[in-house]
Amino acid sequence: MITVRIPTPLRSLTGGEEQVQAPGETVKAVIETLEQKHPGLRDRLLDEKGVRRFVNIYVGDEDIRFLDGLETKLKAGDEISIVPAIAGG
Amino acid sequence: MPDARARQRVLIVGLGGLGCPALSVLARVPELELWLCDDDVVELTNLHRQTLYRDADVGHDKLAAAQQALIAGGVAPERLVAVRSRLLPENARRLVSRVDLVLEGADNFATKFLAADAAHLEGRPIVHGAAVRWVATAWAVAATGAPCYRCLFEDVPPGAQQGCSEAGVMGPVVGFCGALMADLALRVLSGDATAFSSLYTFDGQRDHLRQVPAAPRPDCPLCGSSPSITDILEARYTTPSCAA
Repeated sequence: MITVRIPTPLRSLTGGEEQVQAPGETVKAVIETLEQKHPGLRDRLLDEKGVRRFVNIYVGDEDIRFLDGLETKLKAGDEISIVPAIAGG
Repeated sequence: MPDARARQRVLIVGLGGLGCPALSVLARVPELELWLCDDDVVELTNLHRQTLYRDADVGHDKLAAAQQALIAGGVAPERLVAVRSRLLPENARRLVSRVDLVLEGADNFATKFLAADAAHLEGRPIVHGAAVRWVATAWAVAATGAPCYRCLFEDVPPGAQQGCSEAGVMGPVVGFCGALMADLALRVLSGDATAFSSLYTFDGQRDHLRQVPAAPRPDCPLCGSSPSITDILEARYTTPSCAA
């Protein structure tokens, strides 16, 4: 299983959960699986071009832009973090 | 006292939860001249994190209150330059061009992108910071401007975004982020090239600081190979703001 850490703005889609788990061999597969349980999540992360601008997705400490993007391979126990642009202070 | 002509100038964009702790640190460096940029007033809900202000400052403007607090703490008044305005399309390049570094702790995306663009166009380094709830991010962009804020976040998000007034922000998290921004600023000003190109993300619920590399995006509209942003156009910076 892969653990996905959900940022505050998206927790309304996960019933307030800060992290959820889903199976999947790639980042894209995990997002598709999560979409089944948490409808609307995929559209907040992806558009027709791929990962939406102002959203960054990490596997562990690595930005998937610098790996294989949505096709980045995962192994059991990996953690995906979603980091949207934030403004505040 | 250091020669005033030798002082390095830092433009502090936003005297809020990030600007206050950053200022508290930077004000203790006598080699710095601090340009304070804000036109907001102190609100009661600011006090838990905007540490330069006291109860008596509520309703008064942040600029005067911050100056008063710093001077009372021993900062020479001539080291503080008041800019009683927000960073705006009409003043951004002029202000940025007159300093050695920009420290951006704005509470809205429009100002963040405006500061990023102005810093790149004027060839000035910039330190960005943001905090919402338990999460904070900070990073420094070199004067050469790559990778830049737009490499990561591309453009002003459409529609209303949750900011500190809607989602809340934890005082210790924003204080940590402000201190980290000051650390990055001092590293940049001292010529430490390793200060650049890493995005720091702090999770206050886990006390975990993640440092991840950022790389230039070849098609970045600001610092890419064929940039489309070559000047400041007001229409580019429109988004609802989060009241500090």
